[in-house]
Amino acid sequence: MQKAIRAIAVLLVVGFLFALIIYNVTNPPKPDVSVWNKAMTLGDAQTADHFFYDYTDIMCPYCDKFALAMDKHLDDFRKEYVEDQKVFYELRLTALLASFHPDEVAIVENSTNSASAGYCAAEQDKFWEWYGWILTKLNNDYFSKGIGASAAATQHIPQLDVKYFTEVGDTIDGLDSNRLYECVGSDNTRTTVKNNTSKAARIVKGGLPYYVFNTYVSPGFDGNWEPDHDWENAKLMFDAGIASKK
Amino acid sequence: MVLRKIAKRISFILTTALDRTKFALVSIGYLLKQPKYLASFLVSLFVFLYILSFFKDGNGNWLLLCSGLPFGTKMEVLGKVCIKILENFTSLYGVLIIFMSILQALTIMLLIFTWRNREKDHAIDGASTGGIGAIFGFVALGCPTCGISLLAPILTAVAGTGAIAAAEGISHILIVLAFILLIYTVIKLGYVSFITISAKKYKEKKTCKRQLEQSQFC
Repeated sequence: MQKAIRAIAVLLVVGFLFALIIYNVTNPPKPDVSVWNKAMTLGDAQTADHFFYDYTDIMCPYCDKFALAMDKHLDDFRKEYVEDQKVFYELRLTALLASFHPDEVAIVENSTNSASAGYCAAEQDKFWEWYGWILTKLNNDYFSKGIGASAAATQHIPQLDVKYFTEVGDTIDGLDSNRLYECVGSDNTRTTVKNNTSKAARIVKGGLPYYVFNTYVSPGFDGNWEPDHDWENAKLMFDAGIASKK
Repeated sequence: MVLRKIAKRISFILTTALDRTKFALVSIGYLLKQPKYLASFLVSLFVFLYILSFFKDGNGNWLLLCSGLPFGTKMEVLGKVCIKILENFTSLYGVLIIFMSILQALTIMLLIFTWRNREKDHAIDGASTGGIGAIFGFVALGCPTCGISLLAPILTAVAGTGAIAAAEGISHILIVLAFILLIYTVIKLGYVSFITISAKKYKEKKTCKRQLEQSQFC
């Protein structure tokens, strides 16, 4: 009798967990179709057939795996998806890691400052150039050395100075480092980051990165830090997004 | 006086646990030498490695399989999981997955043996504990920094968006719990198997002796 009750209890727990997973997979949240920041988009929203939204945090290693592959194949993406498939792509930059780990000062500061710097680069209309630059820098300094690259990483990225995200030097034509630095500390930028992070928190379920490609919704990115391999995985997700509308 | 009693009790429990572990290891070694049990171990190992690797980085692969991608592409997604199994050997996280799969495969192998040779339903207790351990492990593995895990969607569905932050901490607890339960199950089932094997050997010896007495050959 006791064994039967135990077996029923185990079955109930398994059934409950399975039902929750199915519910979560089959009930994705509705996407927010308004453009957050035009400088962080690719393609034309007016003529697009497909709408891809990518919720990210620059300090999130899994987001950066995807973003680095995307940065390396940006021309391919523009040609194959933006032009040929009429995709409208929007990167929705957040400081969600700061809200996931509110007690960890380094994560909060790095996440907030990097997102702020992104919005400030967008203000100077140099977002994509800056984004490629910071992704490469973070990868060279930390992720490629295994620092902060995964949950199993023994070393975490330390608290970085604001200048880490703003000292572009002469690497990006037309991007003023001083203006970028001043902008990061402004109340206006902080409010933008805070508001967009709150908006994202209502949509993002299951962690970062979070992709809403048409009706195909997927949290996480399954890459291994090899840009070509990562690009193959990213393309699978783009194709799944396009297929979801057909 | 009380302290001495407690110390005595602890030392007794430890000695018993060590003895049982030793017997369990002997029975595991004995069973792995038999082709049919080795086969069941290897098949279970592959199945668990495949499932855990499939869900290693969250439910991305599952979502791709549920998407509108062509059938051939979905088969490619399934095939790529085999490469991920090999990739497990290159990271600490992957090694955890391999270790958990080995424990689970041993549980299945021991369970098959005890089931086939059972006289009393001793193994069922161990099996249900192992089952719970497997569920915990399955849910907890798949927990990168950003909160991607099977646990996050489950918790999210239960408690809303705030659950994401909790997922990482809880999943570490679940991993530890899963390993404790699985190791406990393997030792328990291994010990039961050892008794069964010893009884079987004794029985065979006895029968052999009788046959020898009667017909001069065995």
